[in-house]
Amino acid sequence: MSEKMELTIGHLYPDLLNLYGDRGNIRCMVKRLNWRGIGATVKEIKINDKIDFSELDIVLLGGGSDREQKLVCEKLSEIQKDFKEYVENDGVVIAICGGYQLLGSYYQMGDEKIEGLHLVDLYTIQGEGRLIGNITIQSDIIEMPITGFENHGGRTYINDTKPLGKVVTGYGNTDEKGYEGIVYKNVIGTYLHGPLLPKNPQLTDYILKKALEKKYDREVVLKELDDRHEIRANQYAQTRG
Amino acid sequence: MAFRKVLAVKTARFVNFVSKKLGKQGVTMAGKYALKVYPNLLRDLSKEVREKIYVTCGTNGKTTTNNMLANFFISEGKKVICNRTGSNMLAGVVSAFVLEADSKGHIDCDVAVIEIDEASARRVFPHFKPDYMVLTNLFRDQLDRYGEIDITMNLLNEALDMAPDCELIINSDDVLVASFAEKSGHKYTTFGISEPCDENPASTTEIREGRFCMFCSSQLEYDFYHFSQLGSYHCPKCGFKHPQIDFNATNISLSKGLKFTIEEKKDGEVVKTRDIDANYRGFYNIYNILASYSAARYGGMELKGIDPILKDFHPENGRMESFKIGSTNVLLNLAKNPAGFNQNISAVMEDDSDKDLIVVINDNAQDGRDISWLWDVDFERFKGANVKSIVVSGLRAYDMQLRFKYSEIKSKAIMDVGDAVKYMLKGHTDNLYILVNYTALYSTRNMLKSMEKK
Repeated sequence: MSEKMELTIGHLYPDLLNLYGDRGNIRCMVKRLNWRGIGATVKEIKINDKIDFSELDIVLLGGGSDREQKLVCEKLSEIQKDFKEYVENDGVVIAICGGYQLLGSYYQMGDEKIEGLHLVDLYTIQGEGRLIGNITIQSDIIEMPITGFENHGGRTYINDTKPLGKVVTGYGNTDEKGYEGIVYKNVIGTYLHGPLLPKNPQLTDYILKKALEKKYDREVVLKELDDRHEIRANQYAQTRG
Repeated sequence: MAFRKVLAVKTARFVNFVSKKLGKQGVTMAGKYALKVYPNLLRDLSKEVREKIYVTCGTNGKTTTNNMLANFFISEGKKVICNRTGSNMLAGVVSAFVLEADSKGHIDCDVAVIEIDEASARRVFPHFKPDYMVLTNLFRDQLDRYGEIDITMNLLNEALDMAPDCELIINSDDVLVASFAEKSGHKYTTFGISEPCDENPASTTEIREGRFCMFCSSQLEYDFYHFSQLGSYHCPKCGFKHPQIDFNATNISLSKGLKFTIEEKKDGEVVKTRDIDANYRGFYNIYNILASYSAARYGGMELKGIDPILKDFHPENGRMESFKIGSTNVLLNLAKNPAGFNQNISAVMEDDSDKDLIVVINDNAQDGRDISWLWDVDFERFKGANVKSIVVSGLRAYDMQLRFKYSEIKSKAIMDVGDAVKYMLKGHTDNLYILVNYTALYSTRNMLKSMEKK
């Protein structure tokens, strides 16, 4: 039992998908592991690197500009099979904004249809105007409301996939249905950045726990941290609607 | 239409008078109402500019560059119109012209020097076509307003298409700016810094834009970076590379103000050199000085009388502006995006004495409501900067506190800026740096001014 645990986090294409403070998500996971005496290694996977999914315990797929996202799409088709296997074997994935859209089957931008990764049953269609603003959702996987910022032109339709949460304030997947993000196996997809994890410590810990349990194949109880500052920032952000 | 023009001038003066009485910052209201009274106002007034119209665009350094350029022209004996307060959307530009007009609706102006918000250029250019555009840099800024840099470049291009004869004065060390200029088809001249500077305390882990070639999408190769994406680059595949620098800064010293030499080149040969000794701080200000200098020289000015302007520079717009409150030296500086913030951290690090720090972060519309960018700033660098205590303040103080927490840096949250400053004035180092983002700037500055008077 006294073995030192450690996780390897793969940050996919930070040179292209690095919009919206994604580095904060990485930093947050690393610190919350280290503060508990758990090791963390970050692998930055550049566009021409080969990915060995068997080395990774958490995969972070962020957002980029449309131009950069297209560059990534071309690459992704090469790794689709390995990525799919990773997901189906309960590998942990956090996909945010553009990364979230890439999880699905396609992103329709006007006349152009960008092929997705086909990892999760969802698709995205570019809508009229962007959905921009602070957003708070209530998820059933954790107690604390999840709060962040959304900024997306795409509307994501999730079919029968389980949403991450119900929109309390803001837009979410589409501006109509009242749901945001998805949870599929150990994959979390969401439009929320801000960045997502620092202000939502319960969600971060949910992700870390899943990754540790998958890797060590047993139940893991994470040591409590002093989250007063995180909780205060979360509660305050909810009021910035 | 003379009647409506005169009425518009009167309206502007009246609105300006009233908003000053009400203590409102900014002069945009005057322009807004004047344009309503007479929609052709800006078109008419700008036609009376006798020589040239310059506009300054770019994410960071607009106000500093533009105001310096205006001062350079004044030193040449020119009559200048300039939007000095940095009100840089259409209404602010109109205000700058109309408030200089006489009662008959005429201006007395040789050169107009106007800073314009990148997204607003396409709204201004239908009114006048500038002769020159200075383009300082393109960094990510206020993401929720512009979407992203690509969108900013498209908006800027839309504007330039309206002014086909406009020549560009560009920062060639910025690959985004250089690619933009090359793609635009406009004639351009370049400024830059051709060699790495040892004294520049640059970060090595910054987020950099433009890693990929805008022409062929291959990964660019860099020989070195000055900061952010500014540096020397080339594309190994299609051959696109850093353009030749026409105005190059060399022999740079940062220790006491900024000292450097500007080499003016023609076809790669140095044809003139000029020593600069400026009472500015921060490596990034080399670019601002270079931009103004190149713009004025390219426009044919001799610039014999600029030494006093550079030497006696006392910023009065919250850009490295200093205050003395009791025994405490306070330095206020605007930092509204990651590139600007990282440069500010470098400037703080240039001072190696003990210091305290207040960081004020708001998320009002003009700041950008999205504060994710705080996580793209390398705040860890404050660990090596002799910072004795840190207070976070403003509407998103708690987010800023988390940002510090995840860099293992302790900070105290005091939401009210006035309380934060008062807290730091007692029992601290008497060397206080205040970094603020946009909407916190004027209120903080006014407060510091009134505290200084007491």
